Amino acid sequence: MEPTLTAPHATADLISRNNTPMIRLIDIEKVYQTDTIETVALNRVNLTINRGEFVSVMGPSGCGKSTLLSLMGLLDEPSGGTIEIDGRAVTSYSDKELARVRNQKIGFIFQSFHLINDLSVLDNVELPLLYRAGTSGKERRQLALAALEKVGLSARTKHFPSQLSGGQRQRVAIARALAGTPEIILADEPTGNLDSVMGEEIMDLLLGLHRHEGTTIVMVTHDENMAHKTERLIRFFDGSQVS
Amino acid sequence: MIRHLFTLIWNRKRSNALLIAEILLSFFVLFAVSVLLVTSYYNYRQPAGFEYQNVWELNVNPGQDTTDHRPTLRLMMQRLQATPGVVAVTGTSSNTPFAFSSMNTNQYYYQKKQGPSTDRYEADDEMVKVLRQHVVAGRWFDRRDDAATNPPVIINQRFAEKLFGNESPVGKVMTNDKGTEKWQVVGVVDYYRRASDFDGNAPAIFVRRVAQDVDKLDPNENPVLLVRVQPGSGAVLEQRLVKEISAVTKGWTAKVNTLEENRHDKMKIVLTPLVALGLVSLFLILNVALGLFGVLWYNINQRKAEIGLRRALGATGSGIGSQFLGEMLVVTTLGVLAGVLLTAQFPLLGAFGVETPIYVISIGLSAVLIYVLTAVCAFQPSRIAAGIQPAVSLREE
Repeated sequence: MEPTLTAPHATADLISRNNTPMIRLIDIEKVYQTDTIETVALNRVNLTINRGEFVSVMGPSGCGKSTLLSLMGLLDEPSGGTIEIDGRAVTSYSDKELARVRNQKIGFIFQSFHLINDLSVLDNVELPLLYRAGTSGKERRQLALAALEKVGLSARTKHFPSQLSGGQRQRVAIARALAGTPEIILADEPTGNLDSVMGEEIMDLLLGLHRHEGTTIVMVTHDENMAHKTERLIRFFDGSQVS
Repeated sequence: MIRHLFTLIWNRKRSNALLIAEILLSFFVLFAVSVLLVTSYYNYRQPAGFEYQNVWELNVNPGQDTTDHRPTLRLMMQRLQATPGVVAVTGTSSNTPFAFSSMNTNQYYYQKKQGPSTDRYEADDEMVKVLRQHVVAGRWFDRRDDAATNPPVIINQRFAEKLFGNESPVGKVMTNDKGTEKWQVVGVVDYYRRASDFDGNAPAIFVRRVAQDVDKLDPNENPVLLVRVQPGSGAVLEQRLVKEISAVTKGWTAKVNTLEENRHDKMKIVLTPLVALGLVSLFLILNVALGLFGVLWYNINQRKAEIGLRRALGATGSGIGSQFLGEMLVVTTLGVLAGVLLTAQFPLLGAFGVETPIYVISIGLSAVLIYVLTAVCAFQPSRIAAGIQPAVSLREE
C-alpha cells in the first residue's frame, strides 16, 4: 500500500510560514572528553532554523551532524552556548522540562528506525503519547491509527517490526514521530538503511509532511539528491558550519 | 502505563518465563524457611505449661547394686523431702523436661475412637508441686486416687481436643483397643511443652506413679528425681542432697543438674540445625538475589537503545527507572501469584499438621520478602537505566 499523506486542503500550504526562529543555536560547542583525549565535535555553531523550514544537513562522517541533531533534539547537553526552541532558551531546563519539550514539540526519525521489536506496530506508534499526561488510551489509539493511516500502514497495526520490510519499518518510525503532532521533526539519515526506491518513498513522505502540515524538518543525510529536495542545505566540516 | 508494562512483559514472555521461574523457586525456599521460623517463633511464644526455674534433676545410679531398689528409693525421697531448702520432690520417668528421651503411645481409645499419638509421662502426686503445671479442669493426682477403680490419668488440652473434641474430658474413661484396660481422666493441664522452647504443644498424658505402692514399680529401675528447691540454693544444698543419697544407699551415685542447665543445653542442640538451615537458606537467597541482579543488569545493557528511544520520545530519567522497577514488580507479582497458588495447597490439604495461620503468615512473609528482594535487586540497575544519556544509548545500537 502506497503512502497516502494528505491534508484537508492538499493543494495549499495551510500553515502560514514566517521567519520566526523555531530552533536557534547560539555559539554552541560540544566537546567530548575522555581521560586523555578531547574531541571537539561542534565548534561555536550559530544556526537558526525557521518555523516550517525543511533543512538538510550534510557533511563527511564525524563532522558533527548527528551531534548537532542530538543537541537540537535536547538529547544531549552542549558544552557551551545556548539552545532556543520556539523562542525559549532550554539549556537550563530540568530533566522533566526537557522531556516535556521533546515529547510535545519534537519527533525523531532515526537511520536504524529504533522500533521496539517486542511491541506491535500500533504500540510502537503509541509510544510518545504514553508519556503525554492527560491522553487517554482511546485517544492514543485514535492518534496512532491516524498517523499510521498517513504513512499507509493502517493494515499492519498488529504486525511486529520483524515482520516488516525496511521501508515499512521506517514508515512506522515516521508514524511514531507524527503521532504526537510535533512542530519539529529531526531525521537522522532516514533513508540511510534503505534502497533507493524505498528512500524516495520516505523522502516523499517527509516532503508531503512539510508541505501540507508545515512541520519544521531538519534532516541529516549523505545523499546529495535528497538534500537538494529540501529548502536549505547546510554543510558541516570538522565541527563547523561551512555553508 | 500499567497496560503497556503488561503488554511488554507478555510479548517478552519467553525471556520473562525464566525470571518468573527463578522468583517462584525463591518463593518456595522462603516459604519453607518461613514455615520453620514462624512455627518456631509461634511455639516459643506459647506457655511451657510448667516452671523449670529452681528445679534440679537428680539422676541416681545404683551401680552394681542388684537388690530391689524400691525400698531404698522410697527412703531416699523421704530424706530428700525432709532436707532444709527442698520444697518438693517427685519421682518420674526419664522423659523429664528438656531430656532427649521420650515415650510415645497411641493406645488410648474413647468410644472406639483412637486417641492421638501422645507423649506419656509418669507422675506422682508431688509433681505438680515441683513443676507447677496449670490444672485447668479437674484436679492433679492425690490420695483419693488410691481407691480408684480405673487408674487415673491427667491429660493436656491438646490431647483433650483431639480425643474428646468439645466434650469435657474429666471423668471420662478411656480404654485400650481391646477394652481390657481402662483409665479415668481426673484432670486437664493447659500446656506441657517439655521437649524444648521451640517444640509445639503435643498431646500429653500423665499416668500416676505411686512411690508407696512398691508393687507397681519396676524393682530395677534407675529413678529420676526432680527436686524443687528454695530460690538461691546452690552448691551447699547440692552437696547436702548428694550426702543424703549416700546415707541411705550403698554405693549409689547421683548426678545433679538444674533444669535451667538442661534447657540451655537442649536449646543449643535444637538451635544448631535451625541456624544451619537459616544459613543455607540465606546463601540460597543471596544466590537468587545475585541472579536477579545479573538478569536485570543484562536486560538494561540489552535495552540501552530502547532506553534512549524512550527518553527521546519524552520519558524522564526517573520515569525510565520507574518503568524498569515496575516491570520487575509485575514479573515478581506473576511469580508470587504462582507461588501463592501452589503453597496455598498446604493449608488446604492440612499438610504436615502445621496450623493454617502459620501457613498463611508464612505465605504473606515470603511474598513480602520476595518483593523486598526484587525491589532491592532492581533498584541499582533501574538507577543506572535512569542515568543513561539518551544520545549515548541511541548511538550504541
